[in-house]
Amino acid sequence: MNRRKAWITLVLTIAIGWGSLAAMLAVGWAPKLGLDLQGGFAITLVAPEDTDAATLEAAADIIRRRVENLGGVQEPEVAVVGDRAIVVQLPGVEDRERALEAVGTTGELSFRPVLGEFPTSPALVVPESTVPGGDDTVNPILQPLNAIDPDSGLSIVDDIVKRSYLEVAEGLIVYEVGGIPVEFTNGTSVEFPTGSDITDARAQFPSTGLGGSWVVVPEFTDEGGEKFRASTAYLASYPVGDPRRQLAIVVDGVVSSAPAVAAEVSPTEGLDPNAVIITVGDAENAEQDAHDLAAILRYGALPTTFERERVESVSATLGADSLKAGLLAGFAGLVLVAVYMLFYYRSLGLIAILGLTVFGSYLVGIIILLGQTQGTTLTLAGVTGVIVSIGITLDSYIVYFERTKEEFRQGRALRPAVSHAFEAAFRTIRMGDTVTFLAAILLFMLAVGQVKGFALTLGMATVIDVFVAYLFTRSAVYLMARGPLGDLGSFSIRGAMGKGDRAHMAQDVEVAS
Amino acid sequence: MSVLSRMYRGETKFDFVGASRRTLIVSLVLVVLSILIMVVRPFNLSIDFTGGVIVTVENETGAAVENIRAELRAIGYADARVQVTGDGFIIVQTETLHPDEMDTLVTAVADVAGADLKDVNVSAVGPTFGAEVTRKAIEALVVFLIVIALFITWRFEWKMAVAALTAVLHDLLVTGGLYALIGFLVTPATIIAILTILGYSLYDTVVVFEKVKENVHDLHDRSTFSGIVNLSMNQVLMRSINTSLTSLLPVGSLLLVGFLALGAETLKEFALALFIGIGVGTYSSIFIAAPILARWKESEPEWERQHRRSAKSDRSGEAVADIEIPEAPAVAPASSAVARPPKQRRKRR
Repeated sequence: MNRRKAWITLVLTIAIGWGSLAAMLAVGWAPKLGLDLQGGFAITLVAPEDTDAATLEAAADIIRRRVENLGGVQEPEVAVVGDRAIVVQLPGVEDRERALEAVGTTGELSFRPVLGEFPTSPALVVPESTVPGGDDTVNPILQPLNAIDPDSGLSIVDDIVKRSYLEVAEGLIVYEVGGIPVEFTNGTSVEFPTGSDITDARAQFPSTGLGGSWVVVPEFTDEGGEKFRASTAYLASYPVGDPRRQLAIVVDGVVSSAPAVAAEVSPTEGLDPNAVIITVGDAENAEQDAHDLAAILRYGALPTTFERERVESVSATLGADSLKAGLLAGFAGLVLVAVYMLFYYRSLGLIAILGLTVFGSYLVGIIILLGQTQGTTLTLAGVTGVIVSIGITLDSYIVYFERTKEEFRQGRALRPAVSHAFEAAFRTIRMGDTVTFLAAILLFMLAVGQVKGFALTLGMATVIDVFVAYLFTRSAVYLMARGPLGDLGSFSIRGAMGKGDRAHMAQDVEVAS
Repeated sequence: MSVLSRMYRGETKFDFVGASRRTLIVSLVLVVLSILIMVVRPFNLSIDFTGGVIVTVENETGAAVENIRAELRAIGYADARVQVTGDGFIIVQTETLHPDEMDTLVTAVADVAGADLKDVNVSAVGPTFGAEVTRKAIEALVVFLIVIALFITWRFEWKMAVAALTAVLHDLLVTGGLYALIGFLVTPATIIAILTILGYSLYDTVVVFEKVKENVHDLHDRSTFSGIVNLSMNQVLMRSINTSLTSLLPVGSLLLVGFLALGAETLKEFALALFIGIGVGTYSSIFIAAPILARWKESEPEWERQHRRSAKSDRSGEAVADIEIPEAPAVAPASSAVARPPKQRRKRR
């Protein structure tokens, strides 16, 4: 190494680190925050044992589309984790009910005949507030009722075969919906369509003919179309106004909608499956409701039943508070450490502080880059990883500086001591970083959830640390040892060595190898 | 010269190996106590391991605990643990709930607190998922230890691997014991922190061993193994202290901010485990890993011969430089209080 080479290496290492970070910030890139830092929902769904990977992927796809359909979710993340779980992350989502509904926990979309409607029994009356936005909810899109069945003690969604209910906002009426197939009076049975009989469904706003209201247009398979025709013919046999003329759309045992069959439908022919529309209405929420209903018809059924194993919802305020706390802790820690390093290692401390900014610019730069390209988010665990990595990278300086002291004490002149110490210290630094790096890789591969984010930052930090030690620290100390801060005054490198007690140096010469 | 300024210059001559007889006994007692405590007082596990629901919301109406309990009892959650924190949060914890029951609970809590539904923080974990997290954590830990053992064996030797892992085990048990004793909440953040501590502890040990290896290479014909270990540890002492300090400063500020800032629970849990662990880890690499290695290696024939040889040369008055700390009390400066000949060595002479 010579002076020229050292300068070039030093300047390039700093310039690339600072420069690329500054450039990224200038174009408005920032670390992508995890939902524990910006607020939102995380829902973990767990499939039954022995669900195969393809099924899991298919389910994740359906959920992904449902979530996209929600609208307004910035960069949702739906990922298969391990062999049984799907983790859905909805950063920034605040409408709890709709988010949970979109993700859903399961099952089956089916059409069922409505067997009757009953006035709400006292046990089933729940406080207004359990149905958020209940006032402006438009029939037929309604919230599931949160209540316990007084007869069976089951929660309403527990048993999809026996009974399902639908609460209607106006009038508080509960429908009881029977299973399928349904016995006709003459003894034959009608099979009602299920989710797999539907190929597509679209929300539309026809400009003419329907009085300006939102509609949903479903499309059926050939077989499904026949089922639909037969079941609507059966329903049309009830007089107009009878609740049994309604076709309930049931998702996960909850009636999500129950449109009535129109008056002009013939009980002998039923509805033409190629010309079906479900009218939603023209109320304030109609557009949203139509889209939701269409989404339910399209993606209603997941290929297997999921348990909602984990729900995490973080309000935006808490997220911001956590981020602030993390940044504050990081900053305070940095200042304390900087003061200590300056006090203890003097001019070498300056190098360590400058090195920290270089190290930081690379670490943050990579975090931003990963966020932008891979969608990797920075979570609270990641932030703690960054704070811990301050300790890791400072250790490299301490190992090096202590080693320099040792070489110096053993009688080497300042400049050779600095170079010689680096070689020995770099071995230790590489070794220590390898151990930590191994730990990080293992954690990343084996652990779940938060631990992963932490392991990622930690792993990156060790690699950057080795890189910064070799390119930045070595050059910087090399140059400083040859400049005014090397030999002169108590702030210099020599000053940090304990002022070079010559008597002692002589005594230790013998041990030097 | 004061001990501090000797430390600053890296000229201390503490007899770590000699002192280790007592420290090893203390550590052993601590470990046994920790195990007993963990058996008697199980960990205070968070819902991430046990399953359950935690609802946290800002207490905008200033509702009292009794009122909240009454509200919850009315909708069937008499067993819920209700807590109103000093910084104005309501925390309600129950066992695992069905999704719809959960919605009822969340709505009720939001009502009591006078908060909007979107400002409610909910964390719900099913029991199976909790078991999965625990299993994964243990799996990661075991694989981690095996890989590290192989790595140290490959890079150094297997006896160093055993010594290092003994120190790590000590850290794990003592930290665990402390957690069980005080009843600190164990969360996934704690697990991360403990894994990090293992990293720190190993890192520290590896730095000492690296130095030992280097000194063995340079001085194997001039010193006993214990002498080399002592020399190495004195050489890296300031590094250990400084590294621990500079690691503890950011972690300490994390801890402080965690205690002061609203709702920064994860930070607090994490920082606490790290703070305890870094302390224990620094101690164990100095007082457990290296002394165990020294005692073990001394019993190898080659080093035993070396030990006898240096004892002889010591008697004949040829001091073998000042690396012979345990064997040459005359050379050891009076100011270093710990440096004195260990008793069991004298017996062998």
